[in-house]
Amino acid sequence: MLSTSIVKMSSFTSIIGGVSVIRPNGEKKTRNINAELLLTALIDAFSILVIFLLMSFSSTGELLMMGKDMELPKASADVLERNPVVKLEAGLLFLEDKPVTADGLVQALLDLRKNFQETRPGEEFPAILTVQADRRAKYEQLSGIVQASAHAGFSDIKFAVVIK
Amino acid sequence: MSKRHRHLEFEINLIPAIDLLSVCICFLLLTAVWLHVGALNVKQAVGGQPASETAKKPTVWAQINGVGDVQIDVRDSRVSAKLAKAKIEGKNGKPDLEALASFAGALKAAEPELTTVLIQPQAATLYEDIIDLMDSFKKQGLIDLGVSPL
Repeated sequence: MLSTSIVKMSSFTSIIGGVSVIRPNGEKKTRNINAELLLTALIDAFSILVIFLLMSFSSTGELLMMGKDMELPKASADVLERNPVVKLEAGLLFLEDKPVTADGLVQALLDLRKNFQETRPGEEFPAILTVQADRRAKYEQLSGIVQASAHAGFSDIKFAVVIK
Repeated sequence: MSKRHRHLEFEINLIPAIDLLSVCICFLLLTAVWLHVGALNVKQAVGGQPASETAKKPTVWAQINGVGDVQIDVRDSRVSAKLAKAKIEGKNGKPDLEALASFAGALKAAEPELTTVLIQPQAATLYEDIIDLMDSFKKQGLIDLGVSPL
């Protein structure tokens, strides 16, 4: 039965050109050692990957750190620059990743301004604040940030959004 | 004269190209930013200039509530009464962005100098709805946006 079986003499040809031979009768195996790798397809795939990754490349890097539960709203927006960030996450406020209370936010922002003026005398303070909040947050939670930034003299607020 | 035979079969060494592409892919994968974050700018009045000294310019006041209804009031403008006051009702608890866009477009056509919008959200208004509202105004050329605190 084995003599008529398909496994009596089966050969498999791989894409690299080598040939593996199965001989159940125990005959000597012969193997073609010359293997040629087809590199053109590999170069094509690599080129496509590089183009895709170059398109998603950002020279500014990650400016905001986001928790897994945070979803930013979507809008067509301008480029985000590095500014002091006030984050509203799970009802808590963070200024530059340091927790602050709603009442203490004005003072924290004023301290930020004071530090800037001490470290860079003669330079004008940019007075720009980035606000990072979840899209499902209610305005009653955000209103305090808007109010505090106005009190601390931050004339520009940049709401962080995912670019549509 | 002896004929010169040119050998047409040639091979390009692809190994350096593969090396270069592999290094590029590794670098780009490590530095890739998958989420493109932008910023929607809002200007705030800071300082104590009296209202009487401020030059009056046409301004849109847009009140938005928690179910997406938007009440629009255009002040210091010569637009028709129909455009000056309007209510755009929300759709499924969200602002009707198509209706808002067409209304803002009509406003901008009637008063080309109109660039300022002051948004007045309520406590229950979702942050996402405020951003959508600002985005639809901005797309129609109303670029000076402001948000009033509660």
